[in-house]
Amino acid sequence: MIKIEDLKRINLLRDVPDHLLEILAKEAQLNIYGTDTQLMTIHEKVDTFFMLIMGQVAVKKDLTPKIDAIFDYIQSGSSFGISAFMEGFTASYTAVCQEPCEAITLSGKRIRELFKENHELAYYMLHGAARQYKKNMDIRARMIMKTLDENPELKKDIHDIGNLTPVI
Amino acid sequence: MVEKEYLKKIGFLKDLPDRILEKIGAISQLETFDEDSLLFRQNQEKALLYMLVSGKVFLNSRSGSGKSLTLDEVTPGRTFGVSALLGGHTSTFTAVCAETSTMITVSGEQMRRLFLENFETGHAVMLKVVELFKSRMEMHTSQFLQSLANHPEIRES
Repeated sequence: MIKIEDLKRINLLRDVPDHLLEILAKEAQLNIYGTDTQLMTIHEKVDTFFMLIMGQVAVKKDLTPKIDAIFDYIQSGSSFGISAFMEGFTASYTAVCQEPCEAITLSGKRIRELFKENHELAYYMLHGAARQYKKNMDIRARMIMKTLDENPELKKDIHDIGNLTPVI
Repeated sequence: MVEKEYLKKIGFLKDLPDRILEKIGAISQLETFDEDSLLFRQNQEKALLYMLVSGKVFLNSRSGSGKSLTLDEVTPGRTFGVSALLGGHTSTFTAVCAETSTMITVSGEQMRRLFLENFETGHAVMLKVVELFKSRMEMHTSQFLQSLANHPEIRES
């Protein structure tokens, strides 16, 4: 069990009302991880949702068999492992602690059970997750547009430019 | 009001149960727009969710230097303006009808009100939004890394 004040430090939970945070607080755990601890492994099932309180986590993928590419750093207040909200989803990246980290964790199995029991909790948490994805998508879309503006010849190499827009 | 049979033709909604489609249908409209109609502009806050029934819509983006780029051509059955469901987000593109187009529109504000009145609907719709955004982010990351891996300096290493 953790305090709801700790959960209020997490961006994804920004709009979640206190009575729902109390439910999460009863289920959540506070964990401390050492430098280089691998929290998630690419292609493996994600069964924990992580909310980072302290430290920094690198998000990486294999670029070639010899080279890893770090494409994001997760800082305190951010969360990862949203795939745990959905049954059977696997990790699309590996997450490794860059320094000692403190994270609040929730079991994916328990989150999915809570979502079935409590649609209000499911709605608020998924709304927070969608907002987080949208913010990242917008940053990426602007970066790509800026790059294409400066290097128009690169457009021919972008095969999924339509995917810059959230069109379903 | 829009009948659920129309909503079932939209990919984003087709798997939702009838009771949820009826609630969404009750606050939706079926509208026809002429060719060249401007639906919304880049950097404007998105007010409506659009589901294309017939016709075609271009999504364009203008860069800092003023160059315009067509990002996508929306075809029937597809949905755009999804961030209207989240509130407070401005659009990263401009939407213009490429031909006379019929679409189902629904106010983002009314949808958000519906979600708060009926959390089952909010849960079902927001789960679909998260799945979509997640797959888009992953596709981009993969393509970006693929481009990097093909860079001559990386290939030689």
